[in-house]
Amino acid sequence: MRKILSFPVTLLGLLLAVSPAWAHHSFAAEYDGKKQVHLEGVVTQMEWINPHTWIHIDVTDPDGKVTNWMVEGGSPNILLRRGFNKGSLEKGQKITVDGFQAKDGSNRANGSNITYPDGKKLFLGSSGTGAPVEPPAGR
Amino acid sequence: MRKTLTLLSTAAAAVVCISLTLTPDAARAQSAPTKKAKPGPVKIGSRMPDGKPNLNGVWEYIGAANWNIQDHSAAPGPFWQLGAIGAIPAGQGIVEGNEIPYKPAALEKKNQNKAHWPAEDPEAKCYMAGIPRSTYMPFPFQIIQSNQDILMAYEYASSNRLINMGKPIEAGSDTWMGTSNGHWEGDTLVVDVTGLNGLSWFDRAGNWASDKLHVVERYKRRDNDVLDYEATIEDPSVFTRPWKISLPLYRRAEKNAQILEFKCVEFAEELLYGKYKKQPAK
Amino acid sequence: MRQRILTSLMVLGAALASVLLVTMPVIGQSPARKTPYQTKKSAYTPPKLPWGDPDLQGLWPATDLIGVPMQRDPKDGDRTEVTEEEFAQRQAKAERTEVADKAEYVDKNGKVGINPPGYWLEHGKPQRIASLVVDPPNGRIPPLTERAKQKAAQAKQAKQGHGPNESWEDQSLYDRCISRGVMGSILPVIYNNGTQIVQGPGYVAIRYEMIHETKIIPLDGSPHPGKNIKSYMGDSRGHWESNTLVIETTNFLGDKNGIGLNGGGTPHSAGMVLTEKWTRVAPDRMVYEAIVNDPETWTAPWTIRMPLRLDPEFPLYEYACHEGNYAMLNMLKGARAEEAAKAGKK
Repeated sequence: MRKILSFPVTLLGLLLAVSPAWAHHSFAAEYDGKKQVHLEGVVTQMEWINPHTWIHIDVTDPDGKVTNWMVEGGSPNILLRRGFNKGSLEKGQKITVDGFQAKDGSNRANGSNITYPDGKKLFLGSSGTGAPVEPPAGR
Repeated sequence: MRKTLTLLSTAAAAVVCISLTLTPDAARAQSAPTKKAKPGPVKIGSRMPDGKPNLNGVWEYIGAANWNIQDHSAAPGPFWQLGAIGAIPAGQGIVEGNEIPYKPAALEKKNQNKAHWPAEDPEAKCYMAGIPRSTYMPFPFQIIQSNQDILMAYEYASSNRLINMGKPIEAGSDTWMGTSNGHWEGDTLVVDVTGLNGLSWFDRAGNWASDKLHVVERYKRRDNDVLDYEATIEDPSVFTRPWKISLPLYRRAEKNAQILEFKCVEFAEELLYGKYKKQPAK
Repeated sequence: MRQRILTSLMVLGAALASVLLVTMPVIGQSPARKTPYQTKKSAYTPPKLPWGDPDLQGLWPATDLIGVPMQRDPKDGDRTEVTEEEFAQRQAKAERTEVADKAEYVDKNGKVGINPPGYWLEHGKPQRIASLVVDPPNGRIPPLTERAKQKAAQAKQAKQGHGPNESWEDQSLYDRCISRGVMGSILPVIYNNGTQIVQGPGYVAIRYEMIHETKIIPLDGSPHPGKNIKSYMGDSRGHWESNTLVIETTNFLGDKNGIGLNGGGTPHSAGMVLTEKWTRVAPDRMVYEAIVNDPETWTAPWTIRMPLRLDPEFPLYEYACHEGNYAMLNMLKGARAEEAAKAGKK
């Protein structure tokens, strides 16, 4: 537990020393640090694009109203090298997002944690995702 | 005794044959000076050392296909301010039979694309042109044909693609330039392109296809300075049947022909983001 | 009869021996030394391509080197490698990162930050290398010239009184998805460090994954284009020095990219001459060296050196940065929304 907590601090320090923290360092410019969101929704579309992937989800609020959100993820190139591909996140898959909402108030969020409903990290573990662990076979 | 001698000599001959085939350079070097000579520029002609046609070079299409892949007359452009500079030249189409077999709904979308040109044209936004449009953009591209794969580097938007000449690989996700698997059929390079994302157009006239697009290209040397290019276009969600385009690609014959840099993002930023720029205080 | 058979055998034997003698240098290799940097002294000779050039082809990502600082800590002096203690620290950090990466579940008590989670990144292998800069001997970039200092001051001055996201021009060339420049395209960063070499007769081509660049290097001794043709990636010409590919790149656009990670850092001038050397020192090892010569910007030339490892399991993927650049829109929209909110409050 403690190791997981301490890691982000040290990694952030390392990143700040070595490179801009992220490709688009202005996450603070895109997202509002005061508007934390917790979204539970169903995947409608996965955009495998650079610089970041975008997962579109339908979120149903307690009243039954459905809103479509766009959640920002990491670079698809890493996911592809980990063996995930366009078939890995099925339409209809339930996911949970903990992140921050866009500054302009639109239904966009930065997925700080994108997980399965049980808390398992999306696109990480090999078990349960149905995705292969090996990178796609080439030569 | 004779049997043993025969066996021995056959074995020795076999070893010699095997080593000769494994080291063709060594075999040739036997007659050349034994000192390791500095590798000078090796003249490669119409064929690569492995016998395959040599497609290396800087190539470019000449014609108006990027304006409209079908036959068309000259016409005014969208901005009268550019005068004749901004006008559309006439063009002989590259579509075999000059007909693009759209399904009715798909034809409607083509017309909408055309109506919203140029702002909606991915070219205006400096988006990569995809396949086959990259081939006939008004910019050169270079083919680097190695002893393994074939690289195509396009001047437009610094786009590129690697044609995998080994065991075919599947597209992991859809991309702008697609996933290209190539093989030789005699002297024709056949390239199978899948995994295109359906966001590119075929030209500035709004011709389009979806992410189900499947393109099979054929490159063949006509002579040292012309490649004959053909592409079969298939997309069952957009077209009622496959159709073909064909065009010549000309070798750029300048003494030091090269592709230059056309990084057009800067030219498209105002178009894409101008609306969200901070307006000066009035 | 026996005499003839014996003679035939002797002839065959002699032929075999001569073939073996000629093939020996190609087949026989002595093992490479263990230090990361090997140039002329390397005993390894790369195989030759059918047209005679050394074969440098393959995928040479810089991923292993993520985490190696660009410049050396001044207290390390001229030491090119870290101490055993520092290396142990790097290893420990790598182990912690690996544990955190592999954790399948998020920490329920973990705080959510505005940045994405760490496992979206790629990580390097702990290295003994103290810094990427190896010359000057202290591993630090030489001081800036007066001209460069003035330009930096002017740029800072111009930003006074302006918000951070007034226009796309407030973002880096990387965030605008234009170019990271030659060095920025190869130095190890948080992900997508793919570099691929493809060779054709008379050319070497280098593909860089992020932001999909292709550098084409003619080897025919032809001159650079004239000064009026300038570009972000410059114009390259190459030649072989023994088995080292030496690339000279000029014709840069000035005052755009720097030489740092992702093209950051002090912008270089249009007069920069970048000399890169690629030497394959083992079947799966390349030593990459880059000499930055820009007397308008730095008071002395400086050199970066890094060992690269062949990794056939690291194919390059398309990095269609500009086409997917929602971030640019979002940053601008966000800034305008903030301004509107502030104006509304007044």
